[in-house]
Amino acid sequence: MEFDDKIPIYYQIKQYIYQEIIVNHLAPGDKLPAVRQLALTLTVNVNTIQRALSELINEGILESKRGRGNFVTTDVATLTDLKHRVVEEQLALMYDRLADLQIAPEDMVAYLTDYIAKRKEQAQA
Amino acid sequence: MTTLLTVANLTYKRNLKTILEDLNLTLEPNQIVGLLGANGAGKTTLMRLIAGAATSYHGTIRLGDQGTPAERKAIVSFSEQVAGVNDNRRLVNIADFYDHVYPDFDMANFRKLATDLGLGLDQRFNQLSRGNHQKFVVAIALSRHAKLYLLDEPFNGIDSMSRKKIVSSIIEWKPEMATILVSDHHVTDIANILDAVAVVKDHTIVDQKKADEIRENNGQSIEDYYESFYAEGETDND
Repeated sequence: MEFDDKIPIYYQIKQYIYQEIIVNHLAPGDKLPAVRQLALTLTVNVNTIQRALSELINEGILESKRGRGNFVTTDVATLTDLKHRVVEEQLALMYDRLADLQIAPEDMVAYLTDYIAKRKEQAQA
Repeated sequence: MTTLLTVANLTYKRNLKTILEDLNLTLEPNQIVGLLGANGAGKTTLMRLIAGAATSYHGTIRLGDQGTPAERKAIVSFSEQVAGVNDNRRLVNIADFYDHVYPDFDMANFRKLATDLGLGLDQRFNQLSRGNHQKFVVAIALSRHAKLYLLDEPFNGIDSMSRKKIVSSIIEWKPEMATILVSDHHVTDIANILDAVAVVKDHTIVDQKKADEIRENNGQSIEDYYESFYAEGETDND
């Protein structure tokens, strides 16, 4: 995994795990790899993995079972919230950029609709 | 958190030349810390002093409750002690030698490390490539059950595949509560695995910071942070 060295690594690992959960590479109830294995896979420090995981546990995204490891929560509401939160963060970035360009909200919708149509065409070509 | 290593007001002169002056450094247990500085800034000398390999200094060096150089030597694993071996023995024979010298040397771990790193133990030391030389030095250093590991420029002049393997070995083989101090003058090699960095310049440590604080509070990469100390003036860094 490529990291942006200007952003805390633990934060980027959290985003990575969010994504793995949202796209169902990590399904509800799945066990995460051991901490040291994750550190090796992502080529980061064990402490960094531990910090990311403990924040995910505090957020209720992961459940820590003593002696057995960390598991993705099976709580549907928490997972739905997570997806909304992550999508909204991306939308917020786009909204702010377009607002900086003084695009009105209703025009944003039009631009986005056109753009989606264009991407669909490109995908079919 | 209890402190693992305390270096306070350390001054070291050799032949009337000041190598280190009024240097302070604190290391906690269970950390990987980058010791960053240009060539000739004093990184190796500092490691030699911490390891107990150089003794005529002024100031304090304490590792846990161990104060004397001889006591420190027994619980610090320093990579330079390996690099000094210049002979045509096979790697397995050199490892046997360390197995006899250090009670905390773990031959089984050494063999696993060598396998992970792709090191053939029948090779002769003086015929190793640069990359394999560095891998061997790191494998020997990490095969001791020490409290503090000092790795002096393990990435100096090696290819990216060897570097990746050494980085993986550091992650995999660091004992839980041990600390690794790794010196480098090209921090991008190891920025992702560092808990903290200490910058050496002008014979002393000019700053010591946690890696994520640099990113979170300064919005800087570790490299930008490090280079900011060398930005103006002399160009002795490469």
